[in-house]
Amino acid sequence: MLAAFSTHLFWQALSSRPFWHGAILAIELTLVSFAVSIPVGFVLALGRASTRRTVRGGVFLYTWIFRATPTLLQLLFVWDALPQIWGVFREGWFTPFLAAALALSLNEAAYMAEIIRSGLLSVDPGQELAGRALGMSRRRILQRVIVPQAIRIVIPPMGNEFITLLKLTSLASVISVTELLTASQNFYSTNFSYEEAFSAAAIYYLVIVSVLMVIQNRLERRYTFSSARRRGAPAATPALAHDAR
Amino acid sequence: MTFLRATGVSKSYGDLEVLRDVTFEVESGEVKVIIGPSGSGKSTLLRCLCLLEQPDGGTVALGEAEPRPGEVGMVFQRFNLFQNMTALENVMCGLVEVRRLPKREARREALEFLARVGLADKGSQYPEELSGGQQQRVAIARALVMRPKAMLFDEPTSALDVELVREVLDVMEALVKDGMTMVVVTHELRFAHHVASSVVMMDEGRIVEEAPTETFFSSPTHERTRRFLALVEQ
Repeated sequence: MLAAFSTHLFWQALSSRPFWHGAILAIELTLVSFAVSIPVGFVLALGRASTRRTVRGGVFLYTWIFRATPTLLQLLFVWDALPQIWGVFREGWFTPFLAAALALSLNEAAYMAEIIRSGLLSVDPGQELAGRALGMSRRRILQRVIVPQAIRIVIPPMGNEFITLLKLTSLASVISVTELLTASQNFYSTNFSYEEAFSAAAIYYLVIVSVLMVIQNRLERRYTFSSARRRGAPAATPALAHDAR
Repeated sequence: MTFLRATGVSKSYGDLEVLRDVTFEVESGEVKVIIGPSGSGKSTLLRCLCLLEQPDGGTVALGEAEPRPGEVGMVFQRFNLFQNMTALENVMCGLVEVRRLPKREARREALEFLARVGLADKGSQYPEELSGGQQQRVAIARALVMRPKAMLFDEPTSALDVELVREVLDVMEALVKDGMTMVVVTHELRFAHHVASSVVMMDEGRIVEEAPTETFFSSPTHERTRRFLALVEQ
């Protein structure tokens, strides 16, 4: 029997508490992982430019491992294998949410490092020279001159990373984080309404990403250093190849 | 009295010897112009004089001691204004970040120096919105506001459209009148004629010839200088 799309069931799913909670959880997981991955990625980016060979090697190893293995594997590793290696992870505080946040943060940091590195490199070396000529310390130059200019460059690729991360949170369903996918599964398992359940989940993702796009647009204007930003000149967003993680 | 002095300075990048045992000095209030073909070491000499580059050998002294940060101002060919700051913020930057002046005081001083280069009304513009000549004048103000004891200019007009060169030279000539000690790398020979007390010719990391401006242009002794002047004056 071909089931017709039931608007009623769709609305029921969309407005149900588990979906709402699932969406909140997905957002929380994304925000936490995103927020952690930026400083870690920044340190990795600086490490890649280090004069010490061991530091560079360590960064390479890190990036290699986290980019070359599937995110799902990393997630399962952190949740299932880590507690076997270290006793501390066997205790009650290590929740599925924390495990997912840890795995996604570490994974994302590997990608962030590349983005941040190319952002820092894209700033004209003359900027640093001018700062040094004024007598500014390297740290100050980085803080006041290089990083603000690099931010403008890294916003579009970081926006992409945020979206990727949001979608990756669905993987956390396998370690019993009750995010959106879990909510849909629980919904259709009682009434077999796949269409309605998945459509409702899709709507949540669409809304979250739309809000993100608005925020990204504002940030891009905020970090465009000309009065043109008041006129809201559209900034060119480089297209990034889709990466299947 | 010798004021800013490089003694026996050498500098290499890998196998490339950019400066070979260069000794150079400027008296207080004096203006020296350095000319020479590209790759002759002019820029590197300037960078050593303000310690943007650490010389491999030799010493640099301002008065009795090594110049401290900000004591020798530097103006670059490509302006290098901080792109993320307005003209005013560019000029304030050194005062706030290096001299640790409170913002209000820094702003007041920065405005004063922007006015000195004729750009009091451009304070809120970003570098991207200014012409090359205006950007270079802001860059000069940014260096001047630190009250440097000497100013170095690395081909300050080379990146400018012809009609914008004058406004920058005007600012520099005003500085000369104020008695600023200056070292200028430039191909503007008219400017050199006009303000320099002596001219230095560099080639292959060495000072080939140095003479008072009149003598330098009227009767250069070295063949290398003659050939170079003939090329530039064309």
